[in-house]
Amino acid sequence: MIAVTACLVLPLAAALAAIPLGRRAPRLALVAAPLILLAALAVATEIWRTGPAQLPVGGWLPPLGIALVVDGLSAAFLLTGAIVTGAVVLFATSIFSTPDRETRAGFAFWPLLLAMWGALNAVFLSGDLFNLYVALELLTLTAVALVALDGRRETVAAAIRYMLFALFGSLAYLLGVTLIYARYGALDIALLRILAEPDAPTFVAAALMTIGLAAKTALFPFHAWLPPAHAGAPAPASAMLSALVTKASFYIVVRIWFDVLPVAGNEALAMILGAMGVGAILFGSVLAIGQERLKLVVAYSTVAQLGYLFLMFPLAGSGGEAQPWAAGAWNGGVVHALSHAFAKAAMFLCAGLFAEAIGHDRMDGLKGVARTMPLTVFAFGLAAISLMGLPPSGGFTAKYLLLTAAFAGGNHFFALVMLAGGLLAAIYLFRPLERAFAKPAEGSDITPIARWRQAVPLVLAGAAIALGVFSAVPFDLLRIGRADAAQEGLE
Amino acid sequence: MNTALPVLLLATSLVPALVTFFLREESERKRNAVNLAGAFAKLGLVVVMLDGVRRGEDYEFRFAFVPGLEMLLQVDALALLFVTLSAFLWLLTTIYAIAYFRGGSDLSRFFGFFSLCVAATTGIALSGTLITFFIFYELLTLSTWPLVVHKGDAKSLAAGRRYLAYTLAGSAVLLLAIVWLESMTGPVEFAAPSDLRRLDDMTLRFVFALFVLGIGVKAAIFPLHGWLPTAMAAPAPVSALLHAVAVVKAGAFGIVRVIYDVFGIALVAELGVGLPLAFVASFTILYGSVRALQQRDIKKRLAYSTVSQVSYIILGAALAGPFATIGGLVHLVHQGLMKITMFFCAGIFAERAGITSIDGLAGMGRRMPWTAIAFSVAALGMIGVPPIAGFVTKWYLGIGALQAGQTWVIAVLAGSALLNAAYFLPLIYRLWYQPGEDIVRADAQALERPLALIAPPVVTAAAALLAGLMAGLALSPLGWATLIVERTYWP
Amino acid sequence: MTFPLGPLLPLIALIAPLAIGLLAAIPATRARSLALLPLAPLPALALAFFGTQDETTLAPDLLLGVTLTLDGNARYFLGFVALLWMGAGLYATAYMRDKPKIAPFVGFWCMTLCGNLGVFLAADIITFYVSFAVVSLCAYLLVVHDGTQRALHAGIVYIVLAVLGETCLLLGFLIGAAAADSLLIVDVRIALTDAPGGEAAIALLIVGFGLKAGMFPFHVWLPLAHPAAPVPASAVLSGAIVKAGIFGLMQFLPMESGLSLWGALLVITGLVSAYYGVAVGLTQRNPKSVLAYSTISQMGLVLALIGAAAGATPADNLAAATLLSLHHGFAKGALFLSVGIVAASGRRAAVPALAAAALLALSVAGFPGTGGALAKAAMKAHIADPIVYWLVTLSAIGTTLLLARFVMTLAAQVSAQERARPSPIMTASFVALAVAALVSPWFFFTDLAGLPLAYSLSASSILNGLWPVLVGGAIAAAFLRISPSVPSIPEGDLVTPVTKWLRRLDGAARRGRSRLEDLPRPDPGVLAAPLWRAASVAERAFARWSFAGLLMAAGALGVLIALSLQ
Repeated sequence: MIAVTACLVLPLAAALAAIPLGRRAPRLALVAAPLILLAALAVATEIWRTGPAQLPVGGWLPPLGIALVVDGLSAAFLLTGAIVTGAVVLFATSIFSTPDRETRAGFAFWPLLLAMWGALNAVFLSGDLFNLYVALELLTLTAVALVALDGRRETVAAAIRYMLFALFGSLAYLLGVTLIYARYGALDIALLRILAEPDAPTFVAAALMTIGLAAKTALFPFHAWLPPAHAGAPAPASAMLSALVTKASFYIVVRIWFDVLPVAGNEALAMILGAMGVGAILFGSVLAIGQERLKLVVAYSTVAQLGYLFLMFPLAGSGGEAQPWAAGAWNGGVVHALSHAFAKAAMFLCAGLFAEAIGHDRMDGLKGVARTMPLTVFAFGLAAISLMGLPPSGGFTAKYLLLTAAFAGGNHFFALVMLAGGLLAAIYLFRPLERAFAKPAEGSDITPIARWRQAVPLVLAGAAIALGVFSAVPFDLLRIGRADAAQEGLE
Repeated sequence: MNTALPVLLLATSLVPALVTFFLREESERKRNAVNLAGAFAKLGLVVVMLDGVRRGEDYEFRFAFVPGLEMLLQVDALALLFVTLSAFLWLLTTIYAIAYFRGGSDLSRFFGFFSLCVAATTGIALSGTLITFFIFYELLTLSTWPLVVHKGDAKSLAAGRRYLAYTLAGSAVLLLAIVWLESMTGPVEFAAPSDLRRLDDMTLRFVFALFVLGIGVKAAIFPLHGWLPTAMAAPAPVSALLHAVAVVKAGAFGIVRVIYDVFGIALVAELGVGLPLAFVASFTILYGSVRALQQRDIKKRLAYSTVSQVSYIILGAALAGPFATIGGLVHLVHQGLMKITMFFCAGIFAERAGITSIDGLAGMGRRMPWTAIAFSVAALGMIGVPPIAGFVTKWYLGIGALQAGQTWVIAVLAGSALLNAAYFLPLIYRLWYQPGEDIVRADAQALERPLALIAPPVVTAAAALLAGLMAGLALSPLGWATLIVERTYWP
Repeated sequence: MTFPLGPLLPLIALIAPLAIGLLAAIPATRARSLALLPLAPLPALALAFFGTQDETTLAPDLLLGVTLTLDGNARYFLGFVALLWMGAGLYATAYMRDKPKIAPFVGFWCMTLCGNLGVFLAADIITFYVSFAVVSLCAYLLVVHDGTQRALHAGIVYIVLAVLGETCLLLGFLIGAAAADSLLIVDVRIALTDAPGGEAAIALLIVGFGLKAGMFPFHVWLPLAHPAAPVPASAVLSGAIVKAGIFGLMQFLPMESGLSLWGALLVITGLVSAYYGVAVGLTQRNPKSVLAYSTISQMGLVLALIGAAAGATPADNLAAATLLSLHHGFAKGALFLSVGIVAASGRRAAVPALAAAALLALSVAGFPGTGGALAKAAMKAHIADPIVYWLVTLSAIGTTLLLARFVMTLAAQVSAQERARPSPIMTASFVALAVAALVSPWFFFTDLAGLPLAYSLSASSILNGLWPVLVGGAIAAAFLRISPSVPSIPEGDLVTPVTKWLRRLDGAARRGRSRLEDLPRPDPGVLAAPLWRAASVAERAFARWSFAGLLMAAGALGVLIALSLQ
């Protein structure tokens, strides 16, 4: 399957090529982005037609070689990543194209972004725990660099903190992988699924990997690096970080507990993950409410939203044995991850536009932007709807599935937390919206923003909404090659 | 079976909404044309369907979200009752709003959300499943908020905050109720409700209470009514629509649906939940009236009057006999006609003569005769003075209450009628019999202008009068409500 | 749409006034609409004379299906009320000619008329209710027509009571209709006997109708409203509109099945009204207020007669009550018109008017030979209870006194302009109504009293009618001689203390509320702030590298322990 290879090779090659191209890098990115998007689309259609596939790299199948694995889950993430990144590329061309002189940021941004894209695709396609590690490391490095891009003191500090957290996470994960390899002599996901047994080394490995990934995902209480890093990065980078980078490590957690080690999972583990999710939802939301900078609001919102993802574990019934409602919870969690990706990317891009227009991202500066930048406010509003979990949006579909699973499984507490989280989200998201609708302050002047740039976040937010309205298609895609632990039909 | 018409019916307001959003502020003509065309088209479709539904034709449109979760738009007699009201009043309100806002700002935004609001209302009416209902219910919440905060001053922003606090909390509760119920029964379809009898009684009671709490916020049942009087900060056309068609009616309609099509009257009676609801509604009726009596601001008085009047609908549904149901349903229309007239007039008084308090009305009858006549007719109708529409409601509710053996209800009706008289008659008295300030601008003609502002309340007042005077017609609100009840009780 | 079934004349009788009223609303015809006023009740009059008995008109599209019939007593009511409206309307064409606000007067006059006629024609309860409400509420607009402070005050009292009355009626009707499962008045009346809550319904109906008929203690609106309205409006208020209440009681009280308790109550309140009206009326200075109190008193007698009908031979009693109402309608209408005529007359022209008024007064008191004597005779013939009989007979003394007082106060109204003359149209309509009052009972006596005409000419009944009037006249003459100072009770007697009491109550409620509103309210923001502050502090800890490392270690350990729980 050439499309799969293209998904990996194209972005990385483009990243390398962007370095010597310098000022012409944006043009390269504009050419590469649609190609990668097309490749992702091709992968998805291929999966749709023929089912999950395993591709040997260099002709050797595991256990001898390593394999790329494509199923519904990876295709969905691949496609989401491609759409979001494509939009970010388009959006960034007018910020990081420096026709007259070369700046550090303008020079570094494009290779980093393209490399990040490649790393993301690698995470989504890897069928092997060590490959995942490599991809994850590449991802972390590009992410940290993007955070530090503008070189201001506080962003560099945020980047360093991010790197420390991420390195610790990577180390823990690597340790886990090593243990697994020592125990089973294999790293391939499909093989491990067959081999895995609930014994002490496996438990230790699983614990290390889970916590390491949780730290990289910024799951509460390991989230403290996220808000300054995401708020400090340039808007397109923030969009990538919040929408996709955090999802990559979450994706691996899902893979581990549903595909690799379902036998090791139990209810207590699910409850711990769930508890951290609950903490994230409540803590992140409360902090988001009080922020006075728009990007910090959005960043804390990410902290909160990541919490929902981890509720998938307790609601799906521990990951160990499949429950009748497991499919609902699993789908809910995944759809939530996807729609959050769209919505959050849109929101950060909107925040970037506001900041560009008013010169800063303090909340009180937003007064009256609904009149001057209606399209951006509209996009922000649509994204907010999805984040609040209001219909019709992907966020709502996800929440509905998770809630139904919660009730069916008797986990009423989680249901209440999700509803409370929705209300808190409404509070922190309507604060900026309310300012946008207020009368413009006297003497505020606004740098006009081109309509097409305002349209970019609108498209992304629209995608988050469309995910809720036309959810049958992604739902069917996700069904392809879904893990046994998340199958329905066990009723 | 016709699948296109329900979608078209929705599209007649959804498409204008979307088109209007993207129109430039200056293209006033285009905007007006689009909105009016939508309104006329909707009314035309309604007329076609009125005939069809009477002949027993089915209109239905299905669309799958995710497997098992369907969006279902269907036109039954009850839906059409609500749609007809909203289509008729939307047209008039659009005409009124165009005149009201002439030369205002942010109009593309306003009319966009305005049409969206009507689309949501139509969707609520046409909903065939709980989840569809919820989707449109939320769409309504969201599309109304920008209308409430339209002015953008501190007062309307505070009103918007309060509105959201109430309605979003309400929808969280509603979602809880829906999810809880559906986690036990699977998706609920109104036309073919699942048999709930196999579920535990206490749970059902609890779920019913959650439904009432969740929907009751919009229906402004005591003590969930707090948002309504504050929402008066909105411009007059918005208040008119909010009070007569969109929000509070959606709430009342929702409760009717829950009682009749989710639980079913038999089960509601078995569970013994109808009577407590009737108590709450009765209390709201009296409480709203007493509060209205205390207000000096015209719109606030009208708002509390709405609190009181909408509970008639709920009372009718809760009592659940055929006559009480007719009374409740017919009030859905009657209250709409009368209340929208009063808000139109209040808007004219405020806009053209700068009158917002009751004392300011003194002597206005002679200066603005048409407005004052429309206002008086509507107010008398509210009191229940025959032959204006309101008395038909009271008559049926009274007979229904007696049939259900709830004699105390007629005492509530009497008390409310007296209170209504106590807070509306002074207004009429001031209009016509108190000497006003000397007319500064001698040209009284100039106050009642333009025609587009004055005609809508006159038309709605005439409609309210005719609805009572010609109640015996098959297509009168009463005739239609009777048709609905015949189909409910003797299918 | 369904075309009305049955004879169309009843519908036309109701629509005709509305059509004329509509002309008043149209600018082009507004000026001339006043001249059409006397024509408005014409179809109704024709119906009363030529209409076919007991035929039903159905208009299913209107209201909840309008049903109209013309039966028994209704025909008489319809006839005299239509005639009275016609006379007053004719009078109004002259009286109102140069007054301002003609169009609203004509419009509301016609609407009131339509409602008033509808009350007599309605066969279904909804039409009846609607008509009754229309007549009640539109009459308000006639009461306050002059727009003076006094008229507005009277209007407030009137409307408060009217709304109360309407509400009572609605409740009574609801109970009746629910019990009968029918909207026909006949069915409802029968069902009321043993309906659940039937007793309450009857009480409510008595209050609702009694209020309109000026029954004590709900009479207070009459002496305020009648004097406040323009003269022709006062005439119809007292002569015709009050009769709607009487007619309602006759229609709805289930007499046949005996309601001794309610009957007795009606007799008692009726007699109380009769005497109370006289007592308070004697203290009045305004001739129209005196007439209003006289109406209270006279209607009290009619109420007593209706009350006495319960259980006995109801049809006869009701017929007698009809005759009494008929005579009172004409007489009182004419007397009210005389007020306007005397006020427009100089000394010379006033004399015949005063004489005619005195004659009418004698008729109301039951002076033998007058129409009033016939009505009284018919009444007394149907009262079995001796105490009631004597009380009724004695009340004629009071009536004589009261109307003597009226004539005196009227004489004080004579215009200062020596040569002033009332317009011939006014005089003509007054004379017509006066003649009707004096003469018409002769024609209907046999039918309505159920007695031969000779009965009223017998010596005993002449004597019976004569002596109370003579006694009353003697007292009045003596009174004139002595002329002691009479205390003046404000019009609407009970209203004054009640309003004072209500004001005090309202003030107390207001003070209580303002005290409630001054209480401090917790601000939700204040509650949320500590939470946010605590979270921010925690956030700083989470960001510290050492703490975060510890947390991760703890987390890993926690997960490990959890996993090994298997």
